[in-house]
Amino acid sequence: MVNVRSGYLVTEGCFQCRHRISFFSEEPVPPVDHYQQGDHIWSYLGSSQAVKFDLKCKKCSREVPLKELMALMLCWRCDPDCGVFKSGAADPEWKTWVYVALCADSSHERGTCVSEESIWALNEYFNADLVDPNKKIIVVPCTLRRSVDFCQGIVLADVGLTELY
Amino acid sequence: MKISELASKIGLRSFNPYADKEIQGVYISDMVSDIIGIKGGNLLITLQTHKNLIAAANLVDVAAVLYSRGKTPPEDVVALAVRAKIALFGSEDDTWTLAKKLYELGIR
Repeated sequence: MVNVRSGYLVTEGCFQCRHRISFFSEEPVPPVDHYQQGDHIWSYLGSSQAVKFDLKCKKCSREVPLKELMALMLCWRCDPDCGVFKSGAADPEWKTWVYVALCADSSHERGTCVSEESIWALNEYFNADLVDPNKKIIVVPCTLRRSVDFCQGIVLADVGLTELY
Repeated sequence: MKISELASKIGLRSFNPYADKEIQGVYISDMVSDIIGIKGGNLLITLQTHKNLIAAANLVDVAAVLYSRGKTPPEDVVALAVRAKIALFGSEDDTWTLAKKLYELGIR
């Protein structure tokens, strides 16, 4: 894990089209302003302290920048019809844990998500240091998620801490 | 040192059944976003009893979580830790006192 930066994961929504976006802010205080962008009027929905990072291979020093990755989220297996659920459904004993790589375009309006190379690197990284030989981590892109509104996944961010300031 | 040996030596309160594991290091943090970079097998000392922390601890295969200053995890957090096979312990000691005790026991 290299280029670790601290900041805020900020989520915004457009109340007209109900699309969601998120971005990583390295400002001391996360921006909360409303603004217009094309047909959208983005409003602040919330923020949490988070980190951004890239991954670097210890053997060949190749670096994979995780530009599109906003946060990771643990799948709570809330929806059997969700693509994320299906990624880990084959393991009823909970030895396989599915984490979702969340991109900035939460509603995928632009059709983009975390790249295949980033997903591959995240899987390699988080499985490399597991102590339990029976445990497996699967990282999948958030395009597999069926609903951003009803998803009960646990986002790996410091939710609630921002409200203190 | 095994988790059970540590729990016995410094009098930790256990919150869930656990598989005994070797402690390979110690990390102290109250931020979820901070612990996703640590190595597997660590004992994590924290004040943070939120479920997000267990989700992150599971990702990096933490051996056990130790709540300092008498913090008690809620039921849903214990349930997630059971599923993730992460041992949860509590102590009335503050984090600094726990760190000193661990160091004196030779845990680095």
